[in-house]
Amino acid sequence: MNLVQRAVENGGKLAPLVIKKGLSKGTGLMNPSIFIDDDGDILVNLRHVNYSLYHAEKDMKFPSAWGPLAYLHPEKDMNLRTYNYLCRLDKDLNITDYCLVDTESLDVSPLWEFVGLEDARVVKWNNKYYLIGVRRDTTTNGQGRMEYSEIDLDKKNWTAKEISRIRIPTLGKDDSYCEKNWYPIIDKPYHFIKWTSPTEIVKALPTNPPNIEQLSLKNTFNVGIDQRGGSQMIPWNDYYISISHEVNLWNNYLNQKNGIYRHKLCVWDKDYNLIGLSPESFSFLDAYIEFCAGVAKLEDDLLITFGFSDNAAFVLKVTNTIVEEMIQEAVVYGNN
Amino acid sequence: MATIEQLIEDASNDMLNPEHNFKIAKEYEVIGQTAAAMSFYLRTAEYGFDSHPLLVYASLIRISYCVADQSGREHTLENSLFQAIQYMPNRPEAYFILSRYYERNQKWQQCYMFAELGLLHTSIFELLEVDVEYYGRYCLEFEKAVSAWWIGRKDESKSIFNDLLGKDLSEEYISAIKYNLSIMG
Repeated sequence: MNLVQRAVENGGKLAPLVIKKGLSKGTGLMNPSIFIDDDGDILVNLRHVNYSLYHAEKDMKFPSAWGPLAYLHPEKDMNLRTYNYLCRLDKDLNITDYCLVDTESLDVSPLWEFVGLEDARVVKWNNKYYLIGVRRDTTTNGQGRMEYSEIDLDKKNWTAKEISRIRIPTLGKDDSYCEKNWYPIIDKPYHFIKWTSPTEIVKALPTNPPNIEQLSLKNTFNVGIDQRGGSQMIPWNDYYISISHEVNLWNNYLNQKNGIYRHKLCVWDKDYNLIGLSPESFSFLDAYIEFCAGVAKLEDDLLITFGFSDNAAFVLKVTNTIVEEMIQEAVVYGNN
Repeated sequence: MATIEQLIEDASNDMLNPEHNFKIAKEYEVIGQTAAAMSFYLRTAEYGFDSHPLLVYASLIRISYCVADQSGREHTLENSLFQAIQYMPNRPEAYFILSRYYERNQKWQQCYMFAELGLLHTSIFELLEVDVEYYGRYCLEFEKAVSAWWIGRKDESKSIFNDLLGKDLSEEYISAIKYNLSIMG
């Protein structure tokens, strides 16, 4: 049973996240990230890309001209560009306001084909809004680093402007290829879970130059398949929770990388020890490629934002009852 | 009409069902989110390959419309229509859309060829569950006539246009034919 089915059959709700075609040009809207502001506003960062992902699932009977898995960017522009829209939702999860995040004053010519801040999570730390994602356009080999993009959000006129951009180095020689999908700890400014298992916690200050330190590195129970980051980490009653993803990769008949993305609920104690994990990974809507980049607690319920095949975006409300069930399942699994 | 939200919630227990995917795709296409529409059409095609041939065929054609709407992805547009033909070579619609695509891109020989091939398969005229802008044999004849002019078959072109004027055509085609005849001399 996929999570959408489990949620909607138990009082939950699914809402597609869509902006006007005139802005999106029909190409992908994906990997949204949700955040509940202090004033109760439901904020979502919606990633818009200039491509459509062509992904022939199952037996791959109908591949594209470039194979079963292809980014359909304009044929005369091989760049895969990301734009971010900051949205406000009402309580029924409809988008009421949205605007393109204005990055113009900080943009520089890209050096690689993946352009823009990807899969940005929304946080608000010390009264500053940040989009925190990965950027891969600053080197000629696509090296990825997490970045703070500080946003000046004008809620009256609903505009969003990027006012600072800080690239977070890695620890030591800063020579790893791609850092992404760190979980921001939503109520602990500048703290991230960098790896799930073993659990590595880092603190990265958005100073100039940025400062990063490793706070802890702890073993966990055996999680099986490597759990990679996804959402933010949020407090939930006596725990913290987050949603991780795992990838089953293989090569198709053209030796192209292909994969199935599935998710798990991670349960953490108040000291950020991983104490629970969904016993079985779940899908949202049974697509091969899905990705969760946000969770938030709205009253007693959980809101989860996810992308579908890089082409569609959704927010799912999961009632408290189901979340508690999932937490208990995860904790039992963690104890065993 | 059901919203995308309703369609997906209703389908969530059976997301591999081609009929569900097709309905969701159509709704995404209506609101102009053609990337999402393409995903669901493609799922219709893959998961319905053995069980829902008409939906598969219609989906492959609609993928070409989605891609056309995004512009600049012409190889994928052609590829989807080639696949539709390969899947159901005895139906006329995909031949027509390819022929019209080549007409609009002034690739006259290709336009003529696909019109001619399509005309071999016009005995089947069973409406698909989605509009693909093919309304009958005359659509292919029109493309053949247009392209014939440009590949040196002036008399054939005029003859087809004149024959078409005696048939039951949509107003759009009638006015196009009259205009063409008026400038052909």
